[in-house]
Amino acid sequence: MSTLSLPRKVSWVPLSDRLRGLLTQESIATIIVSVIVAAAVLLPLFTLVVASFQVMDASGFSTTWGLENYTALFNDRVIHKAFINTLLISSGSTILAMFFGVSLAWINARTNCPWRDRLEPYNLIPFFLSPFVGAIAWHNLAGGKTGLLNSWARDYLGAHGNVLNVDNIFGVIWVTGLFFAPLVYLFVVGSLRRMDPSLEDSARTTGAGLLRTTLTVTLPLVAPAILSGAIIVFVTSAGEFGVPFKLGAPYGWQTLTTQIFSKAVGDDANYYLGSAMSMSLGIITAFFIWIQQWYIAPRSFTTVTGKGFRPNVVDLGRWKWLAFGYNVTFIMVAVVLPIFCLLIVSLHPVWQGRIIPGAMSFHNYAKTLFFWRSDSIKAATNGIYNSFILAFLGATIAMVLSIVVSHMIHRTKGFGARVLDFLCVVPIGFPGIVLAMGVLVTYIRTPIYATLWIILLGYITRFFPYGQRNISSVMLAISEELDQSSRMSGASWFTTLRRITIPLLKPGIFAGWLLLFIIFLRELSISIILYTSGTETLSVGVYYLANYENEALTAALSMTQTVLLLVCVLVFRRVAGREALTA
Amino acid sequence: MIARDSIGAVENKNAADHYVEVQGLVKYFGDDRAVDDVSFSVPKGKFLTLLGPSGCGKTTTLMSIAGLHAIDAGRISVGGMVYTAPAEGRFMPPEKRDIGMVFQSYAIWPHMTVAQNVAYPLEIRKVDRAEIETRVDEVLRLVGLGAMADKLATQLSGGQQQRAALARAIVSRPRLLLFDEPLSNLDLKLREQMRVELKRIQHEVGITSIYVTHDQAEALVMSDEIIVMSKGRIQQKAGPREIYGRPVNAYVSNFIGAANLLKGRVVTVTAPGRGEVEIDAGGRTVQLPCLLGAGVTAGAETVISVRPENVEATRHNGGGASLEGEVIQAIFLGNCVDCRVRWGEFEWKVMAHPRTELKAGEKVYLRLDPEHTLAVLP
Repeated sequence: MSTLSLPRKVSWVPLSDRLRGLLTQESIATIIVSVIVAAAVLLPLFTLVVASFQVMDASGFSTTWGLENYTALFNDRVIHKAFINTLLISSGSTILAMFFGVSLAWINARTNCPWRDRLEPYNLIPFFLSPFVGAIAWHNLAGGKTGLLNSWARDYLGAHGNVLNVDNIFGVIWVTGLFFAPLVYLFVVGSLRRMDPSLEDSARTTGAGLLRTTLTVTLPLVAPAILSGAIIVFVTSAGEFGVPFKLGAPYGWQTLTTQIFSKAVGDDANYYLGSAMSMSLGIITAFFIWIQQWYIAPRSFTTVTGKGFRPNVVDLGRWKWLAFGYNVTFIMVAVVLPIFCLLIVSLHPVWQGRIIPGAMSFHNYAKTLFFWRSDSIKAATNGIYNSFILAFLGATIAMVLSIVVSHMIHRTKGFGARVLDFLCVVPIGFPGIVLAMGVLVTYIRTPIYATLWIILLGYITRFFPYGQRNISSVMLAISEELDQSSRMSGASWFTTLRRITIPLLKPGIFAGWLLLFIIFLRELSISIILYTSGTETLSVGVYYLANYENEALTAALSMTQTVLLLVCVLVFRRVAGREALTA
Repeated sequence: MIARDSIGAVENKNAADHYVEVQGLVKYFGDDRAVDDVSFSVPKGKFLTLLGPSGCGKTTTLMSIAGLHAIDAGRISVGGMVYTAPAEGRFMPPEKRDIGMVFQSYAIWPHMTVAQNVAYPLEIRKVDRAEIETRVDEVLRLVGLGAMADKLATQLSGGQQQRAALARAIVSRPRLLLFDEPLSNLDLKLREQMRVELKRIQHEVGITSIYVTHDQAEALVMSDEIIVMSKGRIQQKAGPREIYGRPVNAYVSNFIGAANLLKGRVVTVTAPGRGEVEIDAGGRTVQLPCLLGAGVTAGAETVISVRPENVEATRHNGGGASLEGEVIQAIFLGNCVDCRVRWGEFEWKVMAHPRTELKAGEKVYLRLDPEHTLAVLP
């Protein structure tokens, strides 16, 4: 047997042979996609950093390098206050969302609350709806004199003045907390359901009571999930634009996002100062997401124990009706009441806080939907059209990207895979408005500025990680050998992707696509920075009506958006089932 | 033509013996040398097994041949076609290598029927419809799945999935078959049955095969040749009988079957390949006549290896070279009695005849057959 213990000296090999070794379908796709993802994610952030160190002079035409933007953040009292308000809103919403999320998750996963299977989908609905529209609804429900609840209180309960008022920081916290409660709920309910019941049983057998078991076993096991949910809510609230824009800013409660917005599109537009503000917000949110991703998520026990357990159920006795009532109340307050109010308001020519049956008509819908009519409002009718294009294209492109990226992360190990994995987490760390600011300053001098393309780019960059995570979780469950055996059967990388990988991923792909479609259909904070006349989206249309038209027209378009989203949710549940969301 | 015939025959013979040629294979995982300078060849049509514990580099070697990962150094060729040779800048992608492979998880695609699974390699090779049908039918019958063609893969049992995977691997009549621990997910009974059947089918189709397993019994039953690996290196390459009867070192001896291993020193070489070895077990020193393994020379440190079934235990000293010990355990196993005999500080494993009624506490004499007492490298 001839053996050759040392590698031969590199002999001369035709270049074409070497290239053929390198230029496989797989490596070409890897390089292209990596470059696209890296450019899409890193370029806006890089430009944002650069722009934040450019100081605009008094004339507003030229810039010099300096730290003045950052010193302004500390010295400008408005920004100072906005910063504090953001912190208060985020903290308050997080506490509120945690309270609702954890209690509802426990009731649904671990008690004998009646009809809990039926209640669950409704608990999740706010997750899919637009918080901005929620703020509009709550403004009409409890916003001073024209609030429906206030007028009812005056008429039926004999109250004086306004019982409720959401047009302040507490209203912002209330609506934000209500809408983000499902985020905490999803994290916690998954953790509670997948917990091995023998962990608790064994504690009980050692003589620990129910309370003690809950405190010493259940709670520590669920703690990472609660913490993860809390951080996500904190970060999302800090980046939320619609709610403070509707309920805070007009009443003197500025936040960082409303300030960034005014620097991006207002009369005193200053992209450089806006960039600096975006940077400060982004650094904070990215820091928290970093903690969540690298310290808390890996410590989550949900993944360790797997599924297929029947969790222990606590018998609440007669108290179960209280739990039921509490859950129904949450659904009423977070879903039914706001939607009902939007419907009522949208049917009136002008909303004055009172239901006037005789005055009701669908005229507002005609004005905001029927683009062929001469009295239609273009900003609103454009929005529906544009949003559908953006949602369809965006979800499709993002899913294609997701499949390829997930494939690379999980099927090709190595440095490139780890870099891609990291790049996919980065956009999650930055609020939409921050990333949009980066996209704006990056592409303002390119032809895509003021087109739908720049919005599409913003959407995909910010949200494709959600699709990627959806695909990744399915891909992890599919054995790598299924792919490998296709290669061994003689199929190329691309054929394998087409005939084996994608068919196996199909349910995950469609669920991910729909999730992104829903997100894009309601997206506000990126669109609001990047839109121009003609490229309004659905949410921008709502913003336009809220700003320049009346509440009734705003409610009509809000209602339209809500119905569209609810239909998508219905399809989503059919396709994905309840497990799909927990990824 | 006639004049060159004999030379041609020799060349052909040589090419057939080195059908699969692995030379100096090195593969790193990070700083870890998973495969460390491994070279071997497989004759055409033969069945070779890579045997070793997990982490010994056997699967990595297999994956390198398959092309499912790149190697750091070495050269792999099959039938004169170079699969990979980093020093020459060559790497053939896995799909071009014309290999059939059976995976540990079977990897039967759940979104296709059995027939679709098996037809896949032929579709990729653009075989025409009618022929695909006949060949799929033929191969499914060969593996005993004739009736299952239209079942979805998910409706099959583990053993049936195994057969389907085998059918898919051989249907395109590849140049080489690779098996990555294909039987390890089956229960014992089915495993034993499949060993024989797998070997039968391989023999019938005559495709050169490389098989990876950690189960030594599997390796002995199925292989023409076995390579025992440890820590990324080849310990021994030989046929089943030789690797069991003449292990080259203590590691192989211990890994394949059970063995009594005692440290010692070669005192004299009495004849080529024969000698006397002095062993020491806590104060007792004995000189035993042994067969000397390759590389074991006079004065060298060595390890004596004796299979439990080659130790004879009797109640009475029959004279000659016998060791006096005490039975500390005797477990009746039906076809034999598994005994432990204490001798000095050493504990002998003895597989005694079922009729010997040895009991714990008894004094026994152990007799070793010099023809089955091996002195091997430590």
